[in-house]
Amino acid sequence: MSPAVINEAPPSEKKLSLYEASTQCRNWRYSTERLAQIRATLNEAAVTIIRTKIETDEPGSSRNVSFLTPNEEVLLVKLYISKIGQLCGYFRFPEEVEATAITYMKRFYLQNTVMDWHPKNVMLTALFLATKTTNNPISLEQYTTHIPKTTPNDVLDLEFLIAQSLGFEFAVWHAHRALWGIWLDIQNLPDGAALASAEYDAALARVRASRLTDAELIYTPSQIALAAFSLVAPDSAARWITLKNLSESATLLAVLDEIKSMIAHQGLPPDVESVREVDRRLKLCKNPEKVVGSKAYLARKKEEERIAEEKRTKKAELQKAAVNDEQDPFGTNLAPKKGLVDYDDDDDDD
Amino acid sequence: MDAVEKANTERQRRWVKDKKVGEGTYAVVYQGREASTGRKVAIKKIKVGQFKDGLDMSAIREVKFLRELKHQNVIELLDVFSSKTNLNLVLEFLDSDLEMIIKDRALVFLPADIKSWMAMTFRGLEFCHRNHVLHRDLKPNNLLIASNGELKIADFGLARDFADPGYKMTCQVITRWYRPPELLFGSRYYSSAVDIWSVGCIFAELMLRIPYLPGESDMDQLKTIFRALGTPTEEEWPGHTKLPDYVPVGQFQKFPMRDLFTAASADTLNLLSKCMIYEPRKRISAREALTHPYFFALPNPTFPSKLPKCSTHFSARPLDEVDGNVQMNSTGPGVKARSLKRKLTSSDDGSEGRNRSIARRLDFSKHTPGS
Repeated sequence: MSPAVINEAPPSEKKLSLYEASTQCRNWRYSTERLAQIRATLNEAAVTIIRTKIETDEPGSSRNVSFLTPNEEVLLVKLYISKIGQLCGYFRFPEEVEATAITYMKRFYLQNTVMDWHPKNVMLTALFLATKTTNNPISLEQYTTHIPKTTPNDVLDLEFLIAQSLGFEFAVWHAHRALWGIWLDIQNLPDGAALASAEYDAALARVRASRLTDAELIYTPSQIALAAFSLVAPDSAARWITLKNLSESATLLAVLDEIKSMIAHQGLPPDVESVREVDRRLKLCKNPEKVVGSKAYLARKKEEERIAEEKRTKKAELQKAAVNDEQDPFGTNLAPKKGLVDYDDDDDDD
Repeated sequence: MDAVEKANTERQRRWVKDKKVGEGTYAVVYQGREASTGRKVAIKKIKVGQFKDGLDMSAIREVKFLRELKHQNVIELLDVFSSKTNLNLVLEFLDSDLEMIIKDRALVFLPADIKSWMAMTFRGLEFCHRNHVLHRDLKPNNLLIASNGELKIADFGLARDFADPGYKMTCQVITRWYRPPELLFGSRYYSSAVDIWSVGCIFAELMLRIPYLPGESDMDQLKTIFRALGTPTEEEWPGHTKLPDYVPVGQFQKFPMRDLFTAASADTLNLLSKCMIYEPRKRISAREALTHPYFFALPNPTFPSKLPKCSTHFSARPLDEVDGNVQMNSTGPGVKARSLKRKLTSSDDGSEGRNRSIARRLDFSKHTPGS
């Protein structure tokens, strides 16, 4: 008998490929329309909330505020994505750190809006988190001392929020890895060895450009890698496609064209001037609750304090009751207590 | 409240903590349940606030890999949520671990039982390796046992993705008794073979019922290994004398396995010795191990639900082992405290726990205030 009998896995269940089983494939892939819809919804919800807040602060004052559009939000995020590369170069982080941080940024802004969280801070934290999740950790102190006007707390304050927004799904599959695989494959082709490594470098540059686009939220890493490769070496790419018996696939060819056009049209860092205008308007339409010192901010802090205080009091009372209980030398707790209260808990999270 | 915070609060409400079952330096473990179904779970609360570098690496590793790995023989991470500065991992609840079972002197293992545990271990490990994940801390108390007898690999706090060839990794991994010689010699480039060595040690331990290679220090570990398996020759393991921390530790003759594992079949010893080949590249892989004749020869592996079970469970453990000022050296369900030392006293663990719990309840002088 084979060891297959040990676990009674349903034999009919289709075995997923590694990629198909990944959280990336299951939770972080969208159609173009869905992406636009998510961003529009987030933007609209944020505008509604912030408008109300501004009105409570000072009635009538929201009339002249020009809120950001979803596209403007994307533009601003894109600018900071393009800065991740510079920082990574400075710290000499491996490519995986850079690519991962960029993915985190994009995913974060599918759950949040720049009007709540400015991409500059999010970028710094996303990058720091990526060093850890890719197993390239550096100390926070070392990290922040090299970044002007940044304290360790600036980075730590957002770490939890970012991890949460990512659904704690830290593993990312990258197109540059897929490109490396294709490159190794191609060198195995009969005349593949003749390819210059300059072609790989050029293709890698296209993969990097693709990081400024939405490609990774729509396509698979290998589709992006292949598109990048076929941009610089169409013949080799075609041979690789034949090798994999995919030359008949109309879907693949259509997808490749879409990605190529995406890289060509959106794969450039945004024009700083136009972003500056967006950033200037953002100062006026940010969520006041998140602006330190504003009335709304203070009100929110006060409310949080009140709730925390309430919890502390409740906990102290419970603790007191528990001590009284324990001090009885004929304590009734020989039998295990029911509905055990979490006295030892060092916080009050429930 | 932000959408993200709201989603977190909703997740948090899905789970109820019932009681504390373990505490380590960086985590507290609770037994809990799913509010809607009553399904038992283990909740591992990691205190994050205390780390100056934010979320700590073992928590990140554990979450990162368990989020991706779904397999019958790998512990399931059901949910993750945060509470203030704590990270809470909701894991499937598992009753005991292989260490408890090995130490339970009341249990008798049949060769078919050992085969079943080995098959489940190799299946889980093959899945990890297929997903390019090195576990790097396999040992009996990281192999947890569900109430239906299924074995699940747990604790991915030291796990990592395979590195690219030529990329350095740390050699300070794997609990000493289960650590392969290449790591003891300081190799910074290694492979899934390190996990296989650990599985070999566990395999032997299942037959011996005591740790196979219990070295007292890293140096002694090498000696212990060589005393059992003979000092490797250059032919057996080319290049090992060039490893960074290589030191000659003396010449030992190979001790015939047959003399130690007297009751083992030829297939059994063949698989065991293939797990413990010095040259890492020649060591058997998890995938090859699954097709080894050992698994196809009689006796057939025991069905999981028919496997020997521990008389004590985590949930039934007396509280004094885990709370207050007591040095924590028990493990929680689904998880364990870091840097735990294994107790070597194993004579009557099963009953010992219960006796102690009674003694404690009657001893008023030992109360710790506020515990």
